[in-house]
Amino acid sequence: MATNKYEPRILGFLCNWCCYTAADSAGVGRYQYPPNLRVIRIMCTGRLDPSFPLEALATGADGVFVGGCHPGECHYQDGNYHALVSAALVHEGMEMLGVRKERFLIDWASAAEGPHFVKIITDFTRQVTELGPLGKAEGRDAKRLRRRLSMAAAAARGRKVRTGLINAAREMMKGRDFSREGIAGLVRDKCGRSLETALGDRAGR
Amino acid sequence: MRQYAARLPGVVYAADNLYTCSQDTQRHIAEMIDRHRLNRVVVAACTPRTHEPLFQATLRAAGLNRSLFEMANIRDQCSWVHMNEPEAATEKAKDLVRMAVTKAAYLVPLAEQSLPVTGSALVIGGGVAGITAALTVADQGYECVLVERGKDLGGQALKLTADRNGQDPREKVAALIRQVEGHPRIRVLKRAEVSLISGYVGNFTSTVATDSGNQSVKHGVTVLATGGHPYCPGGRYLYGKSPRVMTQLELEARLASDDPLPPDAGQVVMIQCVGSRGEDLAYCSRVCCGQALKNAIRLKRARPDLGVVILYRDMRAYGFLEDDYQEARRMGVIFLRYSPERPPRVLEEEDRGGTLTVRAWDPLIGEDVEFRTDMLVLSVGVVPEDQRDLAGMLKVPVTEDGFLLEAHVKLRPVDLPVDGVYVCGLAHSPRSIDESIAQAQAAAARACRSLARGSIVPEPIVSSVDEEKCVGCGACERFCPYKAIRLHKEGKKCKARTITASCKGCGICASRCPTMAIDMGRFTCEGIMAQIHAFSEREETNGNQ
Repeated sequence: MATNKYEPRILGFLCNWCCYTAADSAGVGRYQYPPNLRVIRIMCTGRLDPSFPLEALATGADGVFVGGCHPGECHYQDGNYHALVSAALVHEGMEMLGVRKERFLIDWASAAEGPHFVKIITDFTRQVTELGPLGKAEGRDAKRLRRRLSMAAAAARGRKVRTGLINAAREMMKGRDFSREGIAGLVRDKCGRSLETALGDRAGR
Repeated sequence: MRQYAARLPGVVYAADNLYTCSQDTQRHIAEMIDRHRLNRVVVAACTPRTHEPLFQATLRAAGLNRSLFEMANIRDQCSWVHMNEPEAATEKAKDLVRMAVTKAAYLVPLAEQSLPVTGSALVIGGGVAGITAALTVADQGYECVLVERGKDLGGQALKLTADRNGQDPREKVAALIRQVEGHPRIRVLKRAEVSLISGYVGNFTSTVATDSGNQSVKHGVTVLATGGHPYCPGGRYLYGKSPRVMTQLELEARLASDDPLPPDAGQVVMIQCVGSRGEDLAYCSRVCCGQALKNAIRLKRARPDLGVVILYRDMRAYGFLEDDYQEARRMGVIFLRYSPERPPRVLEEEDRGGTLTVRAWDPLIGEDVEFRTDMLVLSVGVVPEDQRDLAGMLKVPVTEDGFLLEAHVKLRPVDLPVDGVYVCGLAHSPRSIDESIAQAQAAAARACRSLARGSIVPEPIVSSVDEEKCVGCGACERFCPYKAIRLHKEGKKCKARTITASCKGCGICASRCPTMAIDMGRFTCEGIMAQIHAFSEREETNGNQ
């Protein structure tokens, strides 16, 4: 392409039943949106391993989007609540590493909401474009940042952090508090220490 | 794209086709599988949601396990949504194809399982659509339970007193009702509501609340015919304030009564699109134009000297309704267009015995036109019943307007996206009686297709446990929404095991497993990781294209 305009690279994980269907219906309706998103289809956002978005950021994405069914409307009952737990860990890791949290978004569009999906992606693409390539808005070296994100992804695959996630998810289900703040608090509480240890002094702030 | 795909690692054959889903291409794919000894197939085309089963059937016919298939969605999610950016869209398509090919390398054949199907249907809603669906299912030899919320079957159709051929549809509906109520394989539950519904195609269980308590119903398929009702015009055009203002359905009732028109009536005005097309209802209800034409003709037949004016935005007299439009014009019905920016206004004049004056802007002569009228008939649209509770339990989508959304407008018009659930009648969209009947028969035919098979072969996207890695913590068991994974004793240790018949493939167990001992069929951790890495590799592979 002959243009010098910065084009962010965005990876999306869309659930088969809502967001992926919304994306298809946006196509059927010929609604236009920026061509930056690449999609990985998963059956449910509950499948979202917390390491997936971190791995994507570590290896080349400037932004990651996770799209599921509206809360309470998950095709599998509560997969999207579990996705919120995974997403909270991703945000926690990003914050620890000084990566702008706006690079990762989890949001919802029902199968009937093609135009809403288009709006989410259009806004998110603009947001990531404004942040620039990974490292720019952070004022840090991209390579080093990606290396550290890779460590975070590895930690998210590790038993300690994942056990913390189980505990966070258990409390979320027990308390039936599915607010993002509530879940973020639980995840910070249960996984913060082990994630910090994994990212370690070795990497330094 | 073909050249790009041909150079990707692992690709031994790449072709482009005008229609990849055509019969010819299926044969071609099967031949190529055989000739090149292909063991993975990737199709870059539309969406797996509609076409994956077709290609998987081709794989199976060619002797390949259907799980060795992957699709890249380069139409619905690429070319169609980036129509003005062909270069960027092509780059995106390359990425999507590369990601799909990379993932394909990690696909493995998966065992199929067959589950029994309960050979009966549950039809929700006892209007014309529901009645027809129940009869069609039962006539094919399957048991059927028909649930109606009200005390009588028949629904909205009983409010129509003539069809466009002058026959009374109420007689036909009454005959249908008698057939249903006397049918040996149909159980009708009236004043009943489905309060709970769970399960999946072949094995649904519902709780129906009736006057005599809750009943549990087991059924293999579900047909939603929950219907709709006329839009209420509220206080628009003096509706509810003047006895001279009524809806088309209220006019129908009058036309069938002993006292169809006031004896001295000289003028009737109808207003189309009341509350529709951007007002309270965003959509066109498509039946109101035909109904207005039908009733205008009925009025003219009864009293040829009566003046009839139809104020319209666009007359949508589709199909054979065009004949009615021509007939109405021939009989002297006056059609006057109005624009939504300048809708007609209605004044009631007390000193003239409460007659109404309708004032409308005529865009042709560029002036206001006034009619003193004895009756004002409002053509209102169709509103679907609130079906959010049912839709929520069945996980089927509802549009912004409240209608149930089919799996695909063209390819699967009566299937809902959830297998084994079908839709017909006003729950799907505004439609006439004949259209409802045709759609109900279609829905019933699709439902019977699932029943006739006797068993279903669900997608083998289920979880599997690596017992070596499993530490027996039980997180999977705790979080599984379907009780589809359980701990069991393995010597002294506990190990998780999937109950494949119950697993729906969501993957919560996999993403919560502390040792990543659980993986999902076709959506493996390795496969998704490979997709992520393929996404990131773009610079090197596409760089010099």
